Amino acid sequence: MAHQDDIALMAHLMRRAGFGAGRDELEERVKKGYEATVEELLHPETQPEVDAYTLLRYQPASLLPGGQPPMGNVNWMYYLVNTQRPLEEKMALFWHHVFATGNSKVDNYDQLLEQINLFREKGMGNYRELLLDVAKNPTMIFWLDNQQNHGTAVNENWGRELLELFSLGAGNYTEKDVRECSRAFTGWTFETKIPRAPYGRFPWKFEYRPEDHDDGEKEFLGHKGRFNGEDIIDIVVQQPACGKFICRHLYNFFVADEPQVPAWPIEPPQDQKAIDTLVGAFRDAKFDMKPVLRTLFNSDFFKNARFKHMKSPAEVVVGTLRLVGGHELPKPGIGELSMQPTYMGQDLLNPPSVEGWHTGKEWINSGSLMARINFVAEKVGDTSLPGVQAIIGRLKQRGSLSPEQLVDGCLDQIGPVEVGADTKQELTSQAKEWGQISWDNGNAQIADQRVAQMLQLIAATREYQFG
Amino acid sequence: MPLTTVQEGRVYDWSHAVGRNAARGPGFNYVQSMCLGKNGFLYATNRGNENNFGMHVNKVQLGRGPGEEEHIADFFEYGEGDGKCTWPFGIAVDDNYDVYVSDDWTNTISVFDSAGNFLRKWGKPGSGDGELNRPAGLAVEKNGNIIVVDSGNNRLQVFKPDGTFVGKCGGTGSGDGQFNQPWGITLDKDGNIYVADWKNHRVQKLSPEGKFLMKFGQYGKVEEPEGSYAVTMFGPYVAAQSETAGYPKPGTLNHPTDVAVDPDGDIYVTDWGNHRVCVFDSEGRPICNLIGDAQVLSKWGQQTVDANPDMAKARRRVKSLEPQYRFCFPTAVEFDPATDSVIVADSQRNRLQIYKKVRDYSDFQANL
Repeated sequence: MAHQDDIALMAHLMRRAGFGAGRDELEERVKKGYEATVEELLHPETQPEVDAYTLLRYQPASLLPGGQPPMGNVNWMYYLVNTQRPLEEKMALFWHHVFATGNSKVDNYDQLLEQINLFREKGMGNYRELLLDVAKNPTMIFWLDNQQNHGTAVNENWGRELLELFSLGAGNYTEKDVRECSRAFTGWTFETKIPRAPYGRFPWKFEYRPEDHDDGEKEFLGHKGRFNGEDIIDIVVQQPACGKFICRHLYNFFVADEPQVPAWPIEPPQDQKAIDTLVGAFRDAKFDMKPVLRTLFNSDFFKNARFKHMKSPAEVVVGTLRLVGGHELPKPGIGELSMQPTYMGQDLLNPPSVEGWHTGKEWINSGSLMARINFVAEKVGDTSLPGVQAIIGRLKQRGSLSPEQLVDGCLDQIGPVEVGADTKQELTSQAKEWGQISWDNGNAQIADQRVAQMLQLIAATREYQFG
Repeated sequence: MPLTTVQEGRVYDWSHAVGRNAARGPGFNYVQSMCLGKNGFLYATNRGNENNFGMHVNKVQLGRGPGEEEHIADFFEYGEGDGKCTWPFGIAVDDNYDVYVSDDWTNTISVFDSAGNFLRKWGKPGSGDGELNRPAGLAVEKNGNIIVVDSGNNRLQVFKPDGTFVGKCGGTGSGDGQFNQPWGITLDKDGNIYVADWKNHRVQKLSPEGKFLMKFGQYGKVEEPEGSYAVTMFGPYVAAQSETAGYPKPGTLNHPTDVAVDPDGDIYVTDWGNHRVCVFDSEGRPICNLIGDAQVLSKWGQQTVDANPDMAKARRRVKSLEPQYRFCFPTAVEFDPATDSVIVADSQRNRLQIYKKVRDYSDFQANL
């Protein structure tokens, strides 16, 4: 049997680099080894792809969902729940937080899904290449109005956000740099798409219009030349601020909660040494993300950061669905299920602004907390679901359970989750009201219910909101 | 982009499109299957989605040519109880004009009269005789019995019109006579059974008694050709090099969904994942492919554009409308002997594309 510390560490890795794992999977992975698991996560191509054809057989409208929810959300939720490449999907979520585009303006979930697919395919590749692809991505072009950025009439929206939110962070460029950067991206636009009526959606296609590009000399971040957009990206990624900005994002997303992005120019990172380590890997790998992620997941600062990260709504919902099982096929009702993160404050494919979501403790308010607890409680309380049955089955093997054993067993099987003494006492006092539970002598149904109820209570604790 | 396909003694002339994107009324909403009734009526099951809940069956009078289509009725709409559906799938009409529809979520077969009035239903979930697991395509035999593609159980089951179990064949696997999540079904004039064996990427032909006779098709797809225009993340690809560069070689299939057989014995397969209709001869030899040629808007489609000036304006600015001509995940195919028409449900485009099989075609003068 795997050592409990190894299980807890593996659970931590799978929560952060994926969306959690059941106990059977954790034990298999512990046998395989921590670093070997990191390598598997970093090489998604070694695992099967999601079977998109099954999704399209049962929910064909999720392919080109148009502008109304929930079918776009259905598409991504199906991938999130079914993927055997969890880090690939987690990186798509990460990049869509950094390069945030939203359906509120784009009004084309199909275009947003195409962008998610870009993050899926290139999210662990080279950051420079990804940034270039994002600059050419029609969804981003429309989101930040670059189709209105003309050689004779500059629109600075894309140019500004490229520097402020996608690469350097505020304070690391001047207003003149914004202007010059924007000039370099004039003429980067898209072809007129076939409109939605009468046959549904068609995609945009990137188009470079040289006649609309300002080919004059520009001065940008100390460099002079007749720069085009790609030249700007080459200059940007070489800036020391770029690595610091991207690596702080990585730290905030994978390791421990940082302040919100607008505060970064005035609030230093909580672990500067960790950021420096990541920046070194980023620079040495010439902006290749995989070595940075390898450094991150194998670091002590990551391993020691258990439960220092507030689960995002996507992590709450997807983690729960993968834990309890039974939601792999796109059943009727998947639309409502796919909107659950929205009800908790994270509308997938529709972040509130170009800044992405505010994370950490800002995920929590009285409404979102209730939504989180109710959702998880409903799922872990359903003893017909295979993942809940598996938890019950493992506890049942112990014959009968004292109140303390019930609490410890449930905390272990649903996480393992670590709780404080007060919480433990609260849980135990409830378990004591139920007394010893046993699956003998016709008590099985009650025992099953007690396990499910304890899981529900755990889901309602403060500690369970952290991952 | 020729509108006429000439290959091995066959000529297919693109005729017209019928439909538009509509949750109800004139139009379609993700057709899963369709069938021809009597007197030129066509019935289609629409999957809808979880925004518009446009699941329903629609009845359309096709007419004999462009512009003659009429929307007649919608029935079997989303809801609970008799005459309501969750996920309508297969559909067939018997000689009494009664319409049979499968629901692959409730595991039932519902029966309606030709006007769409609910008559009866049967079916319960399971794998025993007469029980169903995600029923898909339906076909009516000459004796009036109903063949149900019991997709989740990977078998065919035969029922009397009242739902009495008669027999079954098939099983799970990729061997002869076995299935992997089959979808559509059709019968030829001799009662032989053709099944689109969806996840085995092939078509199987069985005798009227369910004995394996023939199979054809093997898995194949193309990766996105360099410089092409991907209409969706999974194709079709409008390739710069040539019209056919975006499609795999003849005889290959990617999740076929339906089959039709014409009176000459030629077989039509909706090659769903490859966005085309593959034509095979009666021995299963590939003849040609139809990839969608809707260069003219359907009547209802034109009405929509006319009512939305911005759409018309945008269409005039598009560099190429070719992506709109192509099939996108076609799900169903029927051959209408009365009009020599190949009717294709172009599911993601919410329309039908209709080709004529031209029998008296004489070539034009080459020096025109």
